Amino acid sequence: MTAARKAGRLALLGLVAVSLATAPAAGQDGAAVYGKYCSQCHGDNGDGQGVAAPYLKPWPRDFTAGKYKIRSTPTGGLPTDADLHMVIREGLPYTAMPAFPNLSDAELDAVVQVIQGFSPDFEDPEAQIPPIAIPDPPQWTEERAERGLQVYGETGCGRCHGDVGRGDGMSAPTLTDDWGQPIRVADLTMPWTFRGGGTRRDIFRTMSTGFNGTPMPGFHGALPEEDIWAIVDYIASLSGNTVDEPYQNLVRSVPRAGGLELEKADELFAEAPKAMFRVVGQVVQPGRHFQPSIYAIGLQAVHNRRDIAFRVSWHDMRAETTGVSGPDLEAPSWGDVLTALGVGRGPGGGSGDEGDGGDIWGGAAEESSDPWGDAVADDGGSGDDVWGDAVADDAGGGDDVWGDAVADEGSDDIWGQAETSAPEGPTGPRAEFADAVALQFPLQNPSGVRLPYFLLGDSENGVQLWFADLAAGQPRLYSANGSDKVVPGDAEPPEMIASYDQGEWSVVFKSPRRVPGSGLEFADDAFVPLALTVWDGFMRDRGNRRGLTPWYYVHVEPIDRPSPVGPMVKAGVGVLAIELLLIGLVRFAARRKRNAAESA
Amino acid sequence: MKLVVVLPMLAVLLGLRFVKPRMIVWLAAWWAAIFVTLRFGFATPIPVSVVKLYMGIVTLALTAYILADRERMRQVREPLTAFLVEQRYQPALMAVAVLIPVLAAVQVWAGMTAEAQPPSFARTVHPAPPDSITVHGTDYPLGTQDNPYRSLEGTNPAEFEERLQDGRRVYYENCFYCHGDLMAGQGLYASGLNPIPTNFQDPGTIAMLREAFLFWRISKGAPGLPEEGGPWQSAMPAWEKFLSDEEMWNVILFLYDFTDSRPRAVEAHS
Ligand code: HEC
Ligand code: HEC
Ligand code: HEC
Repeated sequence: MTAARKAGRLALLGLVAVSLATAPAAGQDGAAVYGKYCSQCHGDNGDGQGVAAPYLKPWPRDFTAGKYKIRSTPTGGLPTDADLHMVIREGLPYTAMPAFPNLSDAELDAVVQVIQGFSPDFEDPEAQIPPIAIPDPPQWTEERAERGLQVYGETGCGRCHGDVGRGDGMSAPTLTDDWGQPIRVADLTMPWTFRGGGTRRDIFRTMSTGFNGTPMPGFHGALPEEDIWAIVDYIASLSGNTVDEPYQNLVRSVPRAGGLELEKADELFAEAPKAMFRVVGQVVQPGRHFQPSIYAIGLQAVHNRRDIAFRVSWHDMRAETTGVSGPDLEAPSWGDVLTALGVGRGPGGGSGDEGDGGDIWGGAAEESSDPWGDAVADDGGSGDDVWGDAVADDAGGGDDVWGDAVADEGSDDIWGQAETSAPEGPTGPRAEFADAVALQFPLQNPSGVRLPYFLLGDSENGVQLWFADLAAGQPRLYSANGSDKVVPGDAEPPEMIASYDQGEWSVVFKSPRRVPGSGLEFADDAFVPLALTVWDGFMRDRGNRRGLTPWYYVHVEPIDRPSPVGPMVKAGVGVLAIELLLIGLVRFAARRKRNAAESA
Repeated sequence: MKLVVVLPMLAVLLGLRFVKPRMIVWLAAWWAAIFVTLRFGFATPIPVSVVKLYMGIVTLALTAYILADRERMRQVREPLTAFLVEQRYQPALMAVAVLIPVLAAVQVWAGMTAEAQPPSFARTVHPAPPDSITVHGTDYPLGTQDNPYRSLEGTNPAEFEERLQDGRRVYYENCFYCHGDLMAGQGLYASGLNPIPTNFQDPGTIAMLREAFLFWRISKGAPGLPEEGGPWQSAMPAWEKFLSDEEMWNVILFLYDFTDSRPRAVEAHS
């Protein structure tokens, strides 16, 4: 009893101690919180010009503009205090805006006041638009999702987000935000990357309110609620109703009877599970790339007794099938990048006309040859008002929240950009650098845990690259002993075939399982290390300016798998025999004892 | 340590002292409590194979404890023998006799059909640093090297503050993609890296390291690690390629300042 009480008291004490230790020091004022956690990005004056700003895409928000993406208020409205609390607590996924779970409620209140103080709008009673109600989501249904696909098409989401939501709409390459920066449309198949959250309730809010300061319109009042839910269910279905990151560290290569015909890729990989790997920027070697445009890359593998085939697939806003590519091309030096960024001046300074501006996102827009630059430059009023129509039609008179809000905000430029005519042809104008992808394997199977350096190997342990030049449609083979020692391989490259469809690149490689010209073999039941690299020509990726993954593995599943039944029976019978023996012995001994006792 | 698991287990073991259960119950309770703590009581779980090893040792220890005393042995033996021999336990005995082989068979099946796990490498997180390194032509004897700007904290607070600000710039220009805004290792890239970026808020990292150790890790990055650190797999860049020595020392000042921690001091040297 007393002991239990003692233990209970101990437990309580422990918990109190822990919570005290983790609670942030109370009594800090907003300015101090802002100064420690926010100003490095958002700037001392809230103008978005913190020291880190030049490197970030999208830029840290300029709070003086009073334009917020994530709100419960209609287009043009200001976020409520609760909205701001949520945004700061949860962050904006896949941007530099982090989540701040560490701040106490009091600290949050204080910092919210600070950022509101940067914009006079929060003082203006006229600017306070009441939030719209976000209802509880109805149960997801297949029928609604199917109808959603239709509404999605009719509403014109596809013009920006692509016909099946992969972020490859015709207008996508031309879009900019209110600060004149190119902006990526969301890839609707990856809700875990959504700035405003990927749950169905979040998507409903995003679609209803839109994102101020960006081309993403709000549809509250323009679409009936049930249509919005229909699209929400369609979007949810694109990711199989999950909002969790699906990343893995292993791809299973499954055995397949018969030949591996590259031309029939869909059939070939029908039963191969697809592993998704996260792509991060190459920031280790010069040519650093902070925010690669490709978030994730899918990999499947199949094999028969002779060959192994890999399918690499990823979403790309537009296929760049002209220009050059290669892992050995020279990437811009760090100095060039810094000059192009105009570091020290921050976003407000504008990205001027210095140097090879094309090397980083912002810069790219200025190069006259660059599609984004062009589109944005010559868009001036070219608009037959596709948007206006769509909205007007749907709104059906009513109180046109949309029209008003847009007018108030003076952000008609949102529409201006959306209306630009699409780039020529399905693959766009001539690009200087082509899209490309490469699979990286060690030169030979590692004998122990030691692998080559994940970034193109090291002097003792080399790697091979199965490289797909998507402009030429040709495979190439490279070997590398470090970033500065990438040379064309002398053996026959693996076979390769590539296609681009509705925003997705699909590249299939095939090689004998005993890879010619190297010591690498994809043996039965082996784990072979692999890494991936992807270049987006649109972003002027080439050489070491690229997205990549660290080492992962492919497991070559054995073609002949032993049945577990035999060993199972053996184990069961063996254990049973031991048991019976034991019981028998104990009983025998007990009986002897009893007999002895009785006879005594 | 997960207190929700550990505290109830402690409570159970404490409780045993007062309830004074039968020896066999006592044995089972100790064994189970230790198992639950090892298996579920840690925030970063202990690998199953290691738990098995520990439980083997625990079983041995408990057996030795029983065998060491005749009375204890009797207390354990009697109920066991009764279970195996007496008529009234017959149905239960039969059930157990069938269950164990079935479990053994299931174990074999699970082992043979389990998803294959890729080879893993248990890297040494803080391997011994080399005696000295050369960065941009300057030799640094790591054993005795201190942060050349640390003393400014007392002698010239204004310059120290400037260096902190520069360190902050360096951090947010270069490091937060991986180590995160809050230095808790949860940067933008974290879910794409293995090993994951170090969490500097963890008292087991920079707070127990010397500044010279950090200088080594920052200037030489993953490629500078010895073999046991797994130099081939960590994405930690060698910052000497991008930063000056001064910038690296400054960012070290900032790491400690932001996390409210102090570096381990250089041992007194003669
Ligand atoms: C490492 C850089 C960084 C830090 C530190 C940072 N932010 Fe941000 N923040 C950003 C970026 C980048 C965006 C813009 C994201 C976008 O537009 O998608 C942003 C956007 C925001 C927004 C606008 C959200 C919306 O709905 O439009 C708010 C509010 C915000 N930050 C508040 C804060 C607060 C408060 C802090 C400090 C506690 C902070 N940020 C710290 C980078 C940062
Ligand atoms: C004019 C181009 C355009 C149109 C039309 C458009 N969007 Fe968007 N959408 C965008 C852009 C740009 C973004 C990215 C905003 C950002 O990242 O800040 C976006 C983002 C999104 C997001 C993700 C928001 C988040 O939290 O990151 C969803 C969901 C979305 N749009 C759905 C839709 C749907 C559904 C439609 C049609 C009803 C639609 N969009 C129409 C441009 C558009
Ligand atoms: C590309 C991601 C990445 C970037 C950018 C990065 N790091 Fe790291 N860092 C890591 C990883 C991963 C580890 C853990 C593995 C290791 O020890 O190498 C690490 C480890 C460290 C360690 C060792 C900590 C310890 O406990 O041993 C220090 C110190 C460090 N980083 C400092 C920095 C500094 C300072 C910067 C910026 C100048 C930086 N890192 C930028 C990925 C990164």
